[in-house]
Amino acid sequence: MLSRVASSLYWMSRYIERSDGILRMLKINYASSQDTVQEFTWEPVIRIFTGLQAEEKEALGNDSRAVLKYMVLDKENPNSVLNIITQARENARSVQEHITKDLWQCLNEYYHVVRDPNLNFWIEKDDPITALDILIKQGMLYYGTVEITMERGEGRAFMNIGHYLERGIQSVDLLDTKFGSLDDNPDLLTDTTYWKHLLLSLGGYEIYLKTYRKGFEAENVVEQVVLNNEFPRSVLYSVNHIQVYFERIKSENNIDNFRELSFLIGRLQSSIKYSSVKTIKQDGLHEYLTRIRGELFNIGNVLNQHYFAYS
Amino acid sequence: MTEHAYFNQYQPTPNTWDEMFGPDAKIRKHYQKVINYLTKESIDDLNKKEDLAKRLFMSQGITFTVYNSGEGIEKIFPFDIIPRIITGDEWAFVEEGIKQRLHVLNLFLKDVYSNQFIIKDGIVPIDIIYSCPHFLREMYNVQVPYDIYVHIAGIDLIRDADGTFYVLEDNLRTPSGVSYMLENREITKRLFPDLLPQCKVRSVTEYPNILYKNLLSLSPRQISNPTIVLLSPGIYNSAYFEHTTLARLMGVELVEGRDLVVSNNKVFMKTTTGLQQVDVIYRRVDDEYLDPLVFNQTSILGVPGIMDAYRKGNVAIVNAIGNGVADDKAIYSYVPDMIRYYLNEEPILKNVPTYQLGNPDEKEYVFANINKMVVKRTNGSGGYGMLMGHAASEAETEDYKNEILKNPRDFIAQPTISLSSAPCYMQGQLTPRRIDLRPYALCGPDGIEIVPGGLTRVALREGSLVVNSSQGGGSKDTWVLL
Repeated sequence: MLSRVASSLYWMSRYIERSDGILRMLKINYASSQDTVQEFTWEPVIRIFTGLQAEEKEALGNDSRAVLKYMVLDKENPNSVLNIITQARENARSVQEHITKDLWQCLNEYYHVVRDPNLNFWIEKDDPITALDILIKQGMLYYGTVEITMERGEGRAFMNIGHYLERGIQSVDLLDTKFGSLDDNPDLLTDTTYWKHLLLSLGGYEIYLKTYRKGFEAENVVEQVVLNNEFPRSVLYSVNHIQVYFERIKSENNIDNFRELSFLIGRLQSSIKYSSVKTIKQDGLHEYLTRIRGELFNIGNVLNQHYFAYS
Repeated sequence: MTEHAYFNQYQPTPNTWDEMFGPDAKIRKHYQKVINYLTKESIDDLNKKEDLAKRLFMSQGITFTVYNSGEGIEKIFPFDIIPRIITGDEWAFVEEGIKQRLHVLNLFLKDVYSNQFIIKDGIVPIDIIYSCPHFLREMYNVQVPYDIYVHIAGIDLIRDADGTFYVLEDNLRTPSGVSYMLENREITKRLFPDLLPQCKVRSVTEYPNILYKNLLSLSPRQISNPTIVLLSPGIYNSAYFEHTTLARLMGVELVEGRDLVVSNNKVFMKTTTGLQQVDVIYRRVDDEYLDPLVFNQTSILGVPGIMDAYRKGNVAIVNAIGNGVADDKAIYSYVPDMIRYYLNEEPILKNVPTYQLGNPDEKEYVFANINKMVVKRTNGSGGYGMLMGHAASEAETEDYKNEILKNPRDFIAQPTISLSSAPCYMQGQLTPRRIDLRPYALCGPDGIEIVPGGLTRVALREGSLVVNSSQGGGSKDTWVLL
């Protein structure tokens, strides 16, 4: 497979995963902003998904519709859903003969949907959840189309590596940000809606209720989001899948590069697998998450260097 | 039968060959079945079909992107839902004519890049050849597989008022539009269920298979599975959709210049498992951008060193480099003489009479009759830089004459030909619009094959004679009947 093609498939997949993460997060946070007597803060969301400076964040304020508009439709925001989907489609467009026609049409349609003027109307004037739901559904169509139509080959392996890498990074970021807020406001520790929203934005609320019967506790939330291999957005689950799909691109032609990256992935996998909430607490959650994030980034960089760098 | 309002209003243009209406204002036999089908549909139904066509093009991404103020706008190439129909007899004639012409153009290219008998025998003047910017000395004495230079030709045909076919242009470099031939047919299948088999329309789907078979046969390495690639300038090229369609239909790798590298006079592509040798390149990058070491040095679309690999015979390139000397508009007028010279046959397809402005007598004549002429640049394309004498203002004509005087060799003139017209569905009405025809001929070691069909381009503006998409042209599905 051409390096450029592998790289485009990987990024197409990362972008879709990112837009899905952003949209779910926005939906839950918007719902939550409608359900509070205190002033709702969008600061953590903005911090995770944008590179805005303090004064720019200030300007956006806590105006829900302004934040939604910025995060979903703003052309100037490189990480807006509009721009991310455009990027995903451009990547898909350059590898059309490597993805199925169904998948291309699905992404092409997503692109036309995200540019539909009605979205702006719903977000600015009407019910923003309608707009978010339409976009989330387009993302799910993408996942279904990939599952049903894509050949199980090298291309799919690169797509999945991108997909799980992005997902792992998102879960780490979200957890780190949410727990970071605790330092400023320790009352949140006992605020059940706070934890409920965190879990909802990762789609992990129901699985939490089934696993932990005693209500919301910070330690259990950490355990689920980092260590629960049954939870499809956990860090461990993501890293395990990076490992599975990376194994599939093993080839005798570049075995040294393969071993180097395989080692990095395996080391990260073991270090998460053999942690517990207790050891994480000893390390300090923030330090622990920072290290994992660093290793995930490093895996992305080494992958780029050995498999995509074609200049 | 013809009670419908949209139908009764059809007024064929006077002094023009109309593809649907015969001279006695009767519907030609080969259009009858389609007309019967259409008259059962209401205007509403047809509007719905038109909408469906637009949606299908949009959702499949059969679009080209116009970059405006940093933002890409997706446009579709306008499509008219009413098919253009060619009878079996007409097609047999066209097919034979194109085969003859393409055969000769390949002989000419071989000759002009080797012995140059045609120049020595005084058939084509030497200065016309050497002054052509597309005549590439770098191609002199290069051995190309099977002596085939033109593997893919898109020869443009038009019909005069009496229905005679004329060749307007030979496109022998990187003719485009074939994906529209294929996609337009797919759309018609959706718009008019059952109509295609009822009318016994011949299929065009073989095109990618024939092209693939020909590419495969050109591989310099005698191996069971040669690597064939389609070289595209990338996603910002307006024909990018076509490149991906063809790559997908043939199952070959689509590459950009940056994916290829030349080492030891061999071409390789960069893959996730290292370098892989490339045997055949179907390139959609123009000659001048192909190799920055030989041609345009600023080109980043090409591959440095690819010309060396080509000259050494380590890679086959389709179409060959330097073909522009054969489809130059000044050399065009010598094609009938070439046919007589190389084959001792009379040309089957006629040329449009062409005046060389480099020749003082002919220039004199053209200037005296300029309002009956179309003047073109010899190396222009896409309908840019033309003067339509009958429509131009006094001032435009004067300006253009001054342009010509600067370098007369760069211009030719042809009498204005009244292109044939065909019915188009526009705003609830059937109205005649001017059309041309571009069949796609494929030349391989087994001979020349032409899939029965082609691209019919339509001048959508009323009264316009220019069908190029850059000048407000659209397209139609093109049916060849059994």
